[in-house]
Amino acid sequence: MAIKFEQVSYDYVGVDQTRYRAISNITLDIAETGEFITLIGETGSGKSTLVQHMNALMRPTEGEVTVYGVKIYKDVKKKNKNVKLNPLRQKVGLVFQFPEYQLFEETVERDIMFGPKNFGVSDADAKVRARQALQAVGLDASYLERSPFNLSGGEKKRVSIAGILAMEPDILVLDEPTSGLDPKGREALLKLFTEIHRNLNKTVIIITHDMNTVYEYASRVLVMNKSELVFDGTPDELFLTGDFGSWNLETPDMIDLTRKLETKLGVTFHRLPKTVEDLHAMVLEVLS
Amino acid sequence: MNIIEIRDLHFHYVEQEQVLEDINLTIEKGEWVSVLGHNGSGKSTLSQLIIGLLKADQGEIIVDGLTLNEDTVYDIRKKIGIVFQNPDNQFVGVTVEDDIAFGMENLCFPREEIIRRIDEYSKRVRMNEYLKKEPHNLSGGQKQRVAIAGILAMNTDIIIFDEATSMLDPKGRDEILDYIKEINAQGVTVITITHDMKEAIHSDKIVILKEGKILKVGTPKEVLNDKATLNASNLELLLPLKLMYQLEESKIDNPDLKDYLWQLSLNR
Ligand SMILES: Nc1ncnc2c1ncn2[C@@H]1O[C@H](COP(=O)(O)OP(=O)(O)OP(=O)(O)O)[C@@H](O)[C@H]1O
Ligand SMILES: Nc1ncnc2c1ncn2[C@@H]1O[C@H](COP(=O)(O)OP(=O)(O)O)[C@@H](O)[C@H]1O
Ligand SMILES: [Mg+2]
Ligand SMILES: [Mg+2]
Repeated sequence: MAIKFEQVSYDYVGVDQTRYRAISNITLDIAETGEFITLIGETGSGKSTLVQHMNALMRPTEGEVTVYGVKIYKDVKKKNKNVKLNPLRQKVGLVFQFPEYQLFEETVERDIMFGPKNFGVSDADAKVRARQALQAVGLDASYLERSPFNLSGGEKKRVSIAGILAMEPDILVLDEPTSGLDPKGREALLKLFTEIHRNLNKTVIIITHDMNTVYEYASRVLVMNKSELVFDGTPDELFLTGDFGSWNLETPDMIDLTRKLETKLGVTFHRLPKTVEDLHAMVLEVLS
Repeated sequence: MNIIEIRDLHFHYVEQEQVLEDINLTIEKGEWVSVLGHNGSGKSTLSQLIIGLLKADQGEIIVDGLTLNEDTVYDIRKKIGIVFQNPDNQFVGVTVEDDIAFGMENLCFPREEIIRRIDEYSKRVRMNEYLKKEPHNLSGGQKQRVAIAGILAMNTDIIIFDEATSMLDPKGRDEILDYIKEINAQGVTVITITHDMKEAIHSDKIVILKEGKILKVGTPKEVLNDKATLNASNLELLLPLKLMYQLEESKIDNPDLKDYLWQLSLNR
């Protein structure tokens, strides 16, 4: 297992020492290769807090996280300080929910180069990677010299994703990467993540509110609800057994339309289509 | 009556190419307009020009009869509330309740009224249990809800939502959408900037921007009917329509089904 959570809880502590338990008693295994995981759940349920434990940006209040063999736990005596966390951050690349938290260099090029250089990649190679990563997120080379702060919201998001891609991590964790992207951009980036997952056999973890992404791309779904992990399984299991009402989820468009057409046409489809071409073929069959 | 009129508007940022070109647009009082367009097409820039946070190179913006200039900008801002794309840009206060109060304080609402409204609007967005928290320590979606509450509480004639629900869960997003419908029915003029066609079809009018120019203005029905424009503008066809076009190509002649798929797309 690349990442292992054992009964992990995390408390945010306020200035007045009040505690707020953001994730509670999470046990979870994530494989190094081959998984395409979507993490879903209502606003404030603990998704961002959970993923920040995956590259040791946060330490559990209780329990233990193991990342590539390195144990991360509450560091009372600061013993853990000597453990080098830097290699973990290169292995598990995390894109933040707010790109603003990630962008800080004067130019887009330097911003994207920062990660690779920090992990020992030469200047020249980092430059090449920056160009490739920028292109991969759908921005042309004219953005290289721009300031990352003077970009539109969606452009910032793309640059922050490029910065992590350029690090070539083994596991890619993305916190709401498609919010704020235009539909073509969203589709292109999901395709890109799928290619990374398929061709390089890497694990990809995406936080999203878009159930269509879950339906079309995920091999595994995690659902957070009120600080707890309430579901860990395949999308098919989720759509059969999930408690959509109390978890604030919605039915994917494809399932919704298929069911409506069954009622409208007075037929029963014996399977669910993955693509619109699929659905089209199913409708043709019952109409003829 | 036109509440917003934009004439021959041109804008570019310092050392940047033209960002908005030749924008002409009128918005009627009580209308709900959605603005769509690819990343970087100029949507947020347009909204900031309307409230006078940016200054146009050329052209004219008239809000409720006032031509936007240095003398009128403060009066115009009293008429328009804007929820920024990044909620962090909205926060100035130490606590959530300070932040919700901020806009109302600027409009000189009486103290008791502010207190009453903080209660009312924090409940509306289900953030009433977070009033004493620091806004920067909220989750992304919670920040968006607080930003929305602060603007709604100001009770302005016009509200601009710049991708204001992008980080909300489906239920939270629908709640805000219902609320937008409600205030719009009460006469508030609404501009929603969004990438979500399912949201845009509820508005009266859709404006599509492409590379800083207006590509199309029309009712949701007109826009959905215009496949060429949708393709040219990085927008998506809704699923029932995609199916309908495929059935058409297969020469399926079923007017009843076709009509049904149309109605589904328009969410009627
Ligand atoms: N502060 C700025 N300085 C310079 N250029 C900017 C600035 N803000 C935005 N731009 C540029 O202006 C153009 C329009 O940006 P704008 O933020 O209006 O786009 P948008 O349509 O809101 O995009 P998104 O969907 O990504 O939010 C983009 O090319 C962007 O790079
Ligand atoms: N820095 C912080 N300080 C205190 N509380 C926080 C902080 N960040 C998040 N929280 C709280 O923890 C809970 C979970 O937040 P988060 O993990 O960001 O949720 P999600 O990503 O699922 O929307 C929320 O109730 C939020 O208010
Ligand atoms: Mg989050
Ligand atoms: Mg914008």
